[in-house]
Amino acid sequence: MAMAAVVAAGLTRWGVRKATWKELVQEAGKALFDSVENLDRKDVDALFVGAADPERFVFQAHTAPMVAEQLGLSPRTIMRTEMACASGQMAIKAAAAHVAAGVSEVALVMGVEKMNAAPMAESQTSMACVLDREWDGVQGGSAPPFFAMVAQRHMHEYGTTREQMAMVSQKNHHFSTTNPYAHFQKEFSIERILGSLVVAPPLTLLDCSGITDGAAAVLVTSPERARDFTDQAAYIKGFGQGVQGNNVTNLGDITKWPPLTMAAEEAYRTARIGPEDLDFAELHDCFTISEIIEYEAIGLCPRGEGGKYIEEGQSDMGGKVPCNTRGGLLGTGHPLGATGVGQAVEVLWQFQSKVPEERNVTGAEVALCHNLSGAANAHHITIYGRDA
Amino acid sequence: MVEKDCVPFILDFLPQEGPDDTRIHRFYDHLREGRLTTTRCSSCGEILWQPRVVCPHCNADTMEWIDLPKEGTIYAHTAMVLGAPLGFENDLPFVIAIVRLDMGDHGHMLLFTRVDDAKYEDLAIGDKLWFKTYDCGDGRVFFRFTATAPD
Repeated sequence: MAMAAVVAAGLTRWGVRKATWKELVQEAGKALFDSVENLDRKDVDALFVGAADPERFVFQAHTAPMVAEQLGLSPRTIMRTEMACASGQMAIKAAAAHVAAGVSEVALVMGVEKMNAAPMAESQTSMACVLDREWDGVQGGSAPPFFAMVAQRHMHEYGTTREQMAMVSQKNHHFSTTNPYAHFQKEFSIERILGSLVVAPPLTLLDCSGITDGAAAVLVTSPERARDFTDQAAYIKGFGQGVQGNNVTNLGDITKWPPLTMAAEEAYRTARIGPEDLDFAELHDCFTISEIIEYEAIGLCPRGEGGKYIEEGQSDMGGKVPCNTRGGLLGTGHPLGATGVGQAVEVLWQFQSKVPEERNVTGAEVALCHNLSGAANAHHITIYGRDA
Repeated sequence: MVEKDCVPFILDFLPQEGPDDTRIHRFYDHLREGRLTTTRCSSCGEILWQPRVVCPHCNADTMEWIDLPKEGTIYAHTAMVLGAPLGFENDLPFVIAIVRLDMGDHGHMLLFTRVDDAKYEDLAIGDKLWFKTYDCGDGRVFFRFTATAPD
C-alpha cells in the first residue's frame, strides 16, 4: 500500500517573470484549487513550503505563514523545507510522512523560488551560499566549476564525449517545446549547444540549467482519501536519500556518485521495485553531465555507459526509460524550491494523460523523481506508482 | 587582524579567521608561516579535512596539527569563465582545480583550490601543482596552488 497520494497539481508559467514570489504562489495556488472540484480550502490542514534561499534571493524569511496568508489557509501543521535545489521534493516528503503518520489528512505543498529579482552577480552569490562558505565559497566557487570537473573526469575515465552531453540538452530542450509552462520552449541543435558561450570548460551555457522564477503546487492526501479528489492519483511508494559531505572532494571518485546509488537502493527497497520496473523518470539535469551520471548511478545502465545510453536514445520517447519529459531543469528552468514539486506535477499529469500526447508515456506504471543538492553530495528520490 | 568593515568579499561578509572568531584560527596562522595544515584526531588518529574541533569518527575533542604535502597533482580542473559571484567579477577567468595530495600510509586526499600562474588550456590531469599562501588583501589569508615550481 502506498504511504500517500498526490491528487492535484498547479503550475505557474516558469521563466523570467514580472511578478513577485508571493504572486507566483497565488498563481500556482489558484491553478491547483481551480483543478479540484471537491476541495474546500478549509480541508487543507497542513502546508509545506519548499523554498531554497528566499532570505537572499528576495530578502524574505518566514515564508510559510506568508504562503498560508496568500492562499487563505489556516493549517494546523505548517513548515518550510530547505535542501537547496531539492527543497521542493523535501516538502513532498514531509507532507507524505505527516499524512502517513496521521498528523495531516490533506496537505498542500508549495514549491517556489524567485531568482531574477536581483542582478546576476547577486543571484550567483545566493546560489554559491550552498557551498561551504569557509572553504569553497571563499575561493569563488559556484556550481558550474564543480560539475565541469565532474564532466572532465567522466570524459577522461570513460570516453564520454561533448556531443553525448549536448544530446541531453537537445533532448530536454526538445521536450520543453511540448510544455507551455517551461522557461525556454526552444529547440537547439548539437552544434548550437557546443558553440554556446563557455561557462566553465568543458561546460557551455546550454549545458547549464537556467535561472528561473516559478512556483508549483501539489495536494497530498492518504490513499484512502485520494478517490475523493481524483480517479487517478500518483501514489507515493518509496523514498530514498543519501548524503556524503558537502564538497565533490568528499565523493572520493567524482565520476561515481555513491550517495545517489544509496538513495536509489533505499527508494527501490521501500517501493519494492528495481530499476527495471521504471517506466519514466524525472532526473536532476542541473547540468548535462549530471543526467548522464544519474543514468548510471540509479542503475539504468552500467557504470561509464551513460553517454552511450543517451546516444542510443534510451532516455528519449520510445527508449527504455524516457527521462525528463517535461523538459527537465535544462528546458523548464530551475526555480530551486519549485523544481522538485514541478517534477511531481509531471508524474501526476503523465499518469492522468494530461500531458501532450507526444510526450505521454502511455500505460506507465512506475516513475522515479530525483533531485540532487549541493555539489552532487546529497541525493533525494521519490518513487511513484499508478496504483496504490 | 581581519578588518571587519572591509568591502564585502565573496560570502565573507563576516570573516572568521581570528582567535575571537574560530577555534581553528591556527590554520590561518600556519598559512601565514607558509604551512598548509589540518587536524589529526589524537585519539583515533584519523586525519580530518577540513580542520575540526571534534572528531566525527570517535567523538574525541583533542586534536593535533599536522602538515599537509606542499605539492600535489591535478585530479580535475576547470576555469570560472562566466557567472562569478560577488567580489570575483574582476578575477575572471580564473582556474579552479581538485588537487590530489599523496598522504603516504593514509592514501590520498583531494583538495578544492584556486590555481594561480596558469591558464586552463595550459594544464592537464596529472600535472604538478605547488601550495602557496594567498594574501586576500583585506587582512585575510587563504591557500591556493600555483603551476610554477618554487625556486
